[in-house]
Amino acid sequence: MRRFWTVFEFELLSYIKNKSFMVTTILIAVLLGAAMFLPRFVDMSEMLGIEKTVDNDKQADWDSEDAEEDSQDIAKLGIVDEQGFFTEKAILEQTFPNAEFTFMKDVDELKEAVESEEVEAGFLVKDDLNYEYYVLNRDITDENQFIFNEVLSLIHKQIYCAENGIDYATFVEGYEAVVECEEQILGKDAEDSYWYCYVLVIVIFMMIIMYGVMIATSVTTEKSNRSIEVLVTSIDSTYLLFGKVFAGAVAAVVQVGLILGAALVGYSMNHTYWGDKLDIILDIPGNVLVGFAIFGIGGFLFYAFLYGAVGALVSKTEDINKVAGGIQMVIMIVYFVVLFQLQNPDGLPMKVCSFLPVSSYSAMFVRIGMGSVATWEIVVSAVILFVSVFVAGWIAAKIYRMGTLRYGNPISLSKALKDLKKAD
Amino acid sequence: MKLEVKDIRKSFGDKEILKGISFSVESGKALGLLGRNGAGKTTTIRILMDVFHANSGEMFLDGEKFNPRKVQIGYLPEERGLYPKRQILEQMVYLARLRGVSKKEAIANSEKWLEKMQVSQYKDKLLETLSKGNQQKVQLASTLVCNPDIVILDEPFSGLDPVNSQILQDVVRELIGEGKIVIFSSHQMSYVEEFCEDVVIINHGEVVLSGNLMDIKREFGENQLVLSGVGMTAEDTRQMVEKQLADYVEVTGTSKEDVIVRLLNGVTRKQLLKRLTELDEFSVEHFETYKPSLNDIFVAKVGEEA
Repeated sequence: MRRFWTVFEFELLSYIKNKSFMVTTILIAVLLGAAMFLPRFVDMSEMLGIEKTVDNDKQADWDSEDAEEDSQDIAKLGIVDEQGFFTEKAILEQTFPNAEFTFMKDVDELKEAVESEEVEAGFLVKDDLNYEYYVLNRDITDENQFIFNEVLSLIHKQIYCAENGIDYATFVEGYEAVVECEEQILGKDAEDSYWYCYVLVIVIFMMIIMYGVMIATSVTTEKSNRSIEVLVTSIDSTYLLFGKVFAGAVAAVVQVGLILGAALVGYSMNHTYWGDKLDIILDIPGNVLVGFAIFGIGGFLFYAFLYGAVGALVSKTEDINKVAGGIQMVIMIVYFVVLFQLQNPDGLPMKVCSFLPVSSYSAMFVRIGMGSVATWEIVVSAVILFVSVFVAGWIAAKIYRMGTLRYGNPISLSKALKDLKKAD
Repeated sequence: MKLEVKDIRKSFGDKEILKGISFSVESGKALGLLGRNGAGKTTTIRILMDVFHANSGEMFLDGEKFNPRKVQIGYLPEERGLYPKRQILEQMVYLARLRGVSKKEAIANSEKWLEKMQVSQYKDKLLETLSKGNQQKVQLASTLVCNPDIVILDEPFSGLDPVNSQILQDVVRELIGEGKIVIFSSHQMSYVEEFCEDVVIINHGEVVLSGNLMDIKREFGENQLVLSGVGMTAEDTRQMVEKQLADYVEVTGTSKEDVIVRLLNGVTRKQLLKRLTELDEFSVEHFETYKPSLNDIFVAKVGEEA
């Protein structure tokens, strides 16, 4: 066991001494942590769609700045009002607060104004239910039609009320009565848990792919620099591979932990400035985090062992992807299945995936976060996963030992398993 | 300590690489494992080190089944390799600790061997920053860092210049003097001759010659003489021998100036010398016992089909 720790320490140091690893980790953690403080110093209320949480002086400054900006952003619009609905501009000013309307006599004048860009767009109002909208190049965020529909609909209602002798105010009160609903969620709210589950699925997927390849590269490098023969004659190859994989796991957990930690701590200190808008991603319940940690680490180790074995099957680092393709394909399929089934966490595909060792790392914590899952299911899935991890580790160590002196063309994982069977 | 290898056989697929290799070596002695490229030397060493498993055969250390993990072995593989991007001291300590040496002892041993190899000034450098010769010396130092009882060196002199070779020779002598078992394979016969009391010559996976080197030389040179004539080339002497001395000797070889002959059955040196003095056209320059070099023995044993 002491020798396992020797390998573990040496391999972990190789991550810590890797400048790009350390710089990337610290830089991302610092940037992400700093980003959480942004709303304290920069007004992001409009972007976030929240009320400003600043002192009165700053509020006043910003208000005047906003007013200045607004005055510079006044949109010029044209209108041909054939029916005379808009003799008073008030309704237009209310519904288009940042627009200045120019009345035109006919459609030709409107078209000419639009084409010459005197106005950004224009409306030809034929009656209370028909109008034409003229614009030179339609912007993807153009909301003019949507707003104008509302305006014309309002006028239509007023006309209808007038024609039928109905008091408009009474009509509005009755017609647009507010329906009140008090929500009582007894289980989990998928709307709340969807986004952090979504993010965690992506995080674990990236961890497995990134660190898996790093572990495979570490094994292959020992073959390509020929140090592997000295290593396997010094210590049992099982210790070597387990030391390597666990060091990779710790490096991954530390790196991701630091980055996520910086974001979570930064957000918890500034969540009021964010208007609690990031709660959907960063306010993760403890049981989901524990599920994520247990199943994430299990899944990571499972695939890390397979990547370690793959590393031993090639002689050059550039060949790793040739042999790792099968594993990567499985990881990708699991990723997409879980993401597509995120809105159906209690469906059959998620239930099956939550018990398979190739996919439970992702599917089970989604079920914990979003679905209904019994404790026994979690325990059984965890047992299956960790037994599979040790079986994968044992097989991977055998493949690693077998691949020690096999140089030349890459050997496929399936061929290695067949050879292993023959050797036994 | 006595290490014995008995009738080791190994096949890769249908090809039989080792066809029953046997030898033994004791503490304080060096064994030279010789053979042409592909003869099976490295495979034999890898089986000793448990890199490969033998199909049959046994290995014993002091009569007990040999397990390379239960005894400290310093192994320098044919395929050299350490970590190019790690500090030298750091990786030497790592390799020693993998073989069960404590961290403190590993550091002390590493510094001692780096000093002996005259590369201690590079201990904090990355391996890749050293010249090839110095990297080779670091590799040798790494081999010995676990204070081994058995030292197995596969082609230790390859890549070393004469000065570095001398340093290694001193180290090997020291190891033998300390009572270690030293096994080394090499193509450089002069080094083998210098250190090894015993040799094993392997050809096509079979031991074609083994035993004490002095005995082998004596046996190989038995009844053989070196002849040369004044003012004659080796070719002239050979022709003369074949023409005039066919009833006394047979030619077994020639060197730059001399001819090597073997006395035929029943012929004595005195009779041959008498016959030579009777020849008018031949004036004896050299007439001495043939002492074969290991190179001569090696070529004679495995060089026929070259």
